[in-house]
Amino acid sequence: MLFENRKQLSTLLLPAIVVLGLLTAYPIISVVYNAFLSVDIGSGQHHFVGMANFAELFDDFFFVTAIQNTLLFTVVASTAQVLLGLVLALLFHRNFPGRRFALPVIIYPMMISTLVCSSIWRSWYHYDFGFLNAAFVSVGLPPQEWLFNPDFALYAIAIVDTWQWTPMAFLIILAGLQSVPKDISDAAMVDGATGWKSTLYITLPLIQKQILLAFLLRSIDTFKLFDKVYVMTGGGPGNATETLSMFVYKYGFRFFDLGMASASSLVMLAISLAMTLIYAKRVMKGGKQ
Amino acid sequence: MNARVHGIVVWCCTGLFLLPIVWMFGTAFKSPNEILNAGASLLPTTLSFDSWLAVWQGSLFTLISNTVLVSLSATVVSVVVAFFAAYGLVRYRFPAKLDYLFLLLVLIIKMMPPIVVAIPLYSLMNQLSLLNSKAGLILAYQVYTLPFCIWMLLGFIRDIPLEIEEAGAMDGAHLFRRLLHIVFPLCAPGLVATSIFAMILGWNEFLFSLLFIHSPDKLTIPLFISNFMTEDGTAWGELMVIGIISSIPMLVLASYMQRYLLRGFSMGLK
Amino acid sequence: MFRKAIIASVILATTPMVNASELVIAGRDSSYGEAMEFIVSEYNKLQPETKVTLVKRPSKGLYESLVLSMREQTGNYDVILMDDTWSTEFLTNKWLAPLSKAVEDKDFVQATFDIGRYPDVKGSAYAMPMVGNVAMFAWNRAEFAKYGLSQPTSWTDVLNSAKKISESSDTNGVVFRGVKGNPIVTGFLPILWGYGADVVDQDGHSTLNSPAAKKALDTFLAMKQYAPKGVDVYNADEVRESLQKGTTAMAIEVWPAWVPNLDNAEVSNVVGDIELMAPPAEVGAPAPMLGIWQLAVPADSDNKQAAESFIKFATSSAIQKALALDYGMPPTRNSVYFDKDVVSKYRWYPQQAKALASGKARPRIHNWAEVESILGDYLQLAMMGQMSAEQALEQAHARIDRIVKS
Repeated sequence: MLFENRKQLSTLLLPAIVVLGLLTAYPIISVVYNAFLSVDIGSGQHHFVGMANFAELFDDFFFVTAIQNTLLFTVVASTAQVLLGLVLALLFHRNFPGRRFALPVIIYPMMISTLVCSSIWRSWYHYDFGFLNAAFVSVGLPPQEWLFNPDFALYAIAIVDTWQWTPMAFLIILAGLQSVPKDISDAAMVDGATGWKSTLYITLPLIQKQILLAFLLRSIDTFKLFDKVYVMTGGGPGNATETLSMFVYKYGFRFFDLGMASASSLVMLAISLAMTLIYAKRVMKGGKQ
Repeated sequence: MNARVHGIVVWCCTGLFLLPIVWMFGTAFKSPNEILNAGASLLPTTLSFDSWLAVWQGSLFTLISNTVLVSLSATVVSVVVAFFAAYGLVRYRFPAKLDYLFLLLVLIIKMMPPIVVAIPLYSLMNQLSLLNSKAGLILAYQVYTLPFCIWMLLGFIRDIPLEIEEAGAMDGAHLFRRLLHIVFPLCAPGLVATSIFAMILGWNEFLFSLLFIHSPDKLTIPLFISNFMTEDGTAWGELMVIGIISSIPMLVLASYMQRYLLRGFSMGLK
Repeated sequence: MFRKAIIASVILATTPMVNASELVIAGRDSSYGEAMEFIVSEYNKLQPETKVTLVKRPSKGLYESLVLSMREQTGNYDVILMDDTWSTEFLTNKWLAPLSKAVEDKDFVQATFDIGRYPDVKGSAYAMPMVGNVAMFAWNRAEFAKYGLSQPTSWTDVLNSAKKISESSDTNGVVFRGVKGNPIVTGFLPILWGYGADVVDQDGHSTLNSPAAKKALDTFLAMKQYAPKGVDVYNADEVRESLQKGTTAMAIEVWPAWVPNLDNAEVSNVVGDIELMAPPAEVGAPAPMLGIWQLAVPADSDNKQAAESFIKFATSSAIQKALALDYGMPPTRNSVYFDKDVVSKYRWYPQQAKALASGKARPRIHNWAEVESILGDYLQLAMMGQMSAEQALEQAHARIDRIVKS
């Protein structure tokens, strides 16, 4: 009875629908439409080419590599971020001396501009003059190749992304922990569940949704990986760090080839939707009375 | 784990996270010669303010205040609009699973690569005469922030026990009173986390600000940052200085807001 | 004071009086931005009633802003600063307005002015050259002396000297920009041209399958073993750093903006040691790569006349001299290159003027960005050893020809 009122509902939803509709209806339609066209940016002339853009994309082994790289990066980086974020959130859920100061420090990396953040790490990864190799050598380890090893470059970028964005997973999960009603956690205490057992069986199920949400949001963002590659490797060495966003950027903003840019972003959209639909469904569902 | 060990463990993790930041601060205070010859060291041997003097200029204040205005407004708009929408989506019944459809569309918007959105959005903004205006930029940022906020808030609103709201309704509180006095305070940690993220999105946004704004007096910080990374190379010292300057306001804001995030602690959770 | 007087008189002589108007200029940031600010303030001294707004775009964003704005015909900009590799595309799309006959001036280094003509060097001028960048070759005289080597005159020389230096010391022989995309291509072009080969012919068809191109790529790839480790991800920063530190003896591609720091004791360990020259040639005469920044008027501007007068002013010799002396902007006028004050400040300018005069522009085709990107992809694969030189060139050739046809 409380939640049957259609008029209330439309009042609640209308602002979001208007804003998003206004801003994205035209862009979305034009992406779908352009994907099947060949567009000349100068004259604005275009003609229908059917699936030709898609055929060309999948014919290009750089594009196929980009799909593989992007998927690998998404899985590695988002998993690392959520796991690390979860551990940190559990650590921060308990009080300790100086927690008030440690929290801002932990979340500081995500406040730093991505350009600055990527530059810091680019300098750190330098083979001859970087901080990391200097540190390695000083403790007797051999210097590492980092960015120019084609087998490691993508992971090197994943490390940077994890450094910058673990705080996001951390904050989402921490906020979830903080929202767990007192009586439930107190009840757990009374029942005598302690330490990791209580964490595993009582706390984790309670913040399952936040963990999934962190996964969902981080997967979407890591799937769009662009700036870090652009600053650090340009997609190299070879095509080790070529990503789908680099591809879309190249076609959209360097060649202004709207047909190919739209086709590649549709492919991108399809993959990321397929990949995240499982989490998305679980985040959406459940708890509805 | 006893409290002392716990504290040491957390601070060690924090220290690791901190290293690149220490390097950023260190490099900001190195002289150009030290940057060339001791780029790997964390801290400068002698303090130099060369880079600070090179970055410091009158327009910095305008840039920061523009960025604050734009990202703060975008955040407020997004969080408010998303709060209503998420509440509606969580609590109300929809015919034909329209609510899932809506959420899916929102997710797709979030997944679109900004570059593809930017080109048609530019034409749209041009037709609406919203190019080169802060209002236009605030609106454009909704493409990033609104889908994000809606999805963030869903879970937090869902976690609020229905009984509390029903009790409120019995007392005769109407929808907006209930939202304001019951739902809003109860999902404060979620709202705070969401606002921090939305603020960061707006604060570091580069592409739309680059394309949609062309008056020097309306530009935002991220464009200024790219000044120090050109195709001729990176001005390391200056880049680190502007990295610090541009992140401090966000850090202050987040430090202030963390009290709402950590309310569980103040209520004596052990 | 004296300089200002000269500027004032030049302007009075060259600028037609224009009515009060407003000009919006799309320029670049950092040193270009400061230089443009100076031009604007000087211009305002003479044309106080013209309001000039300078929009400083980041260098990685100017192109995108210009394309979107001109495509939508917003009329946002009256004067634009552009890289010479963009201009063919802009002109093919009819986005630029032709300039009047009055802009012709014999004082400009011919090659830098002709790059602004359309459809070919006989066509009328659409752009004037503001900054005369040209890629130079750098070698460290002190390092060379240590091993009894003399100035390299061919790419084979470069390779041999690099080998000698790398093998007998910790110093690397040679460095270049190896990062994927535009950098590796501009790192390779001086060698490709030095062997008398090219990427495309006048119609935009690939010529990468020539034997000369193969030889050039073999030389380029052979250099990797004498380059610093990780050169595959080197960009301008790393190249400049290794020259300034003195850890590398030669650099294939050095732009004028990088040069002043080499002689600046605060950031260089090699003051006075580095020599600059037009890049060596294997066959024929050297062909240094031009990187001209041009000023032009978009076709959608409402102030074309005032815009042209601004462009003329910005490229006048008095302004160029001031820009060279105070902002290190390489000029495009002969009179400035051989000016006494300028030469005494920049010892390498006579070499640079020579390089500029024999300079070669990157192919004037409207889809150069795409061609460059394809070549960059395959060069990287060859550099990483994931493909042979032959395969890389063949595949790049096939793909470039495919996009030309489509």
